[in-house]
Amino acid sequence: MNPDILHILHQAFFGGIAAAGFAILFNCHPRMLPLCFGAGVLALAVRTIGQELGGSLAVASFFAALLLAICNRLSRDTSAARRSVLAVVGVIPMIPGSLAAKVFMSVFAFLRSGQSQGIEATVATWDNLLMLIFTLAAIGTGLALPSLMVVAKVAEEA
Amino acid sequence: MTLCPAITLTDDPPLPDVARLCLSAGRHLLQTGANGRMVHEAVIEIARALGCDSAEVFCQHAAILITIQRGSDSFMQMSKAAEHGVNLRRTQAVRQIISDLVGGKLDCAAAQAAIDCVQETTPSYPVWFVCLATGLACAAFGRLLGADWPSFIPIVLGSAGGQWLRHLLLHRRHNIFVVAGIISFVSATAAGLGARLCGSTHAPIATIAAVLLLVPGVAVLNAQVDILQGKPNLAAARALRVLYLLMFMALGLVLAQTLILPH
Repeated sequence: MNPDILHILHQAFFGGIAAAGFAILFNCHPRMLPLCFGAGVLALAVRTIGQELGGSLAVASFFAALLLAICNRLSRDTSAARRSVLAVVGVIPMIPGSLAAKVFMSVFAFLRSGQSQGIEATVATWDNLLMLIFTLAAIGTGLALPSLMVVAKVAEEA
Repeated sequence: MTLCPAITLTDDPPLPDVARLCLSAGRHLLQTGANGRMVHEAVIEIARALGCDSAEVFCQHAAILITIQRGSDSFMQMSKAAEHGVNLRRTQAVRQIISDLVGGKLDCAAAQAAIDCVQETTPSYPVWFVCLATGLACAAFGRLLGADWPSFIPIVLGSAGGQWLRHLLLHRRHNIFVVAGIISFVSATAAGLGARLCGSTHAPIATIAAVLLLVPGVAVLNAQVDILQGKPNLAAARALRVLYLLMFMALGLVLAQTLILPH
């Protein structure tokens, strides 16, 4: 088997585990846990494929979040509450929490050592910070885009 | 001919009752992880279902303000919101009550009674199960970040312990930022030390993965959805709290790494 496919399967599986674990933490209904696992698998699979194809973390995350949001919109489940739960839980494994931690740790290291840290470490901190901001913005935009395209029911009636 | 004054007979409940129901529903939604738009839609649906001509909502992080109008009468009320968390089953329960109200299955008083006891009636998972699930989720994050297998169990144990500690401290109403710092330190220390004892070469990744239970992912998403949907005040408040939470998380993590990782 192609090692890249193995990597994609690995990332997708553990993305699903992370999504299902967080779904339990968020007190999701037990009936929805398999769907949450599936949402995590889909999101991480798309993101990993995007990165394998040369896309940056932000771009790959955007398309993964967008696909998840579109799938939720098109799903036959009419309950908006269930759909929004799936979309939110599905993208949770893509939130770059470790990147955020690294950014803050680099900032603390910079405050401790000042300019002696060197230009490369400072550039790396900024690089991580920009990547974090753009990735978060990409996930949020991808997730919200389908609902922004559809005219809100309330606004329609107003 | 006798002229009688026009008398309007209506079954619509009084505006203060409608306002109370709107605020109860909005508050529950806000406190259980809903974004600003969901709160707005819920309040407007309730107000319209109960015969109001219009409803205006101003949703803030710590309070909700509504103005409802029926004919020439209007009523304005504000309600404080408690600490925000995430409880998707309770969000669904509140939305189900609103659907039943709109569908005519519940009246205002019955909907209010249902919402008042939704906290007690919504089932939840046992604490040990939530801790285990959180531990597995963080260990899965570890694998996604490239951590090796020997660090898997230490991450599960470290973050499960952290989740148990969070449950304990938040129930005693300690400050959420201080709690985040403490949990970060404890989880990272346990996972890092465990990983080293198990022969892992990825102890730094293990320490980071073990604290990812503290990343407020839903708040991050809600902040963005709120800003995209024209609610910058709510979004800014959420973003600021996320920033502080991450800062306390990183403080605990740095302290743990300084103590347990070889320099």
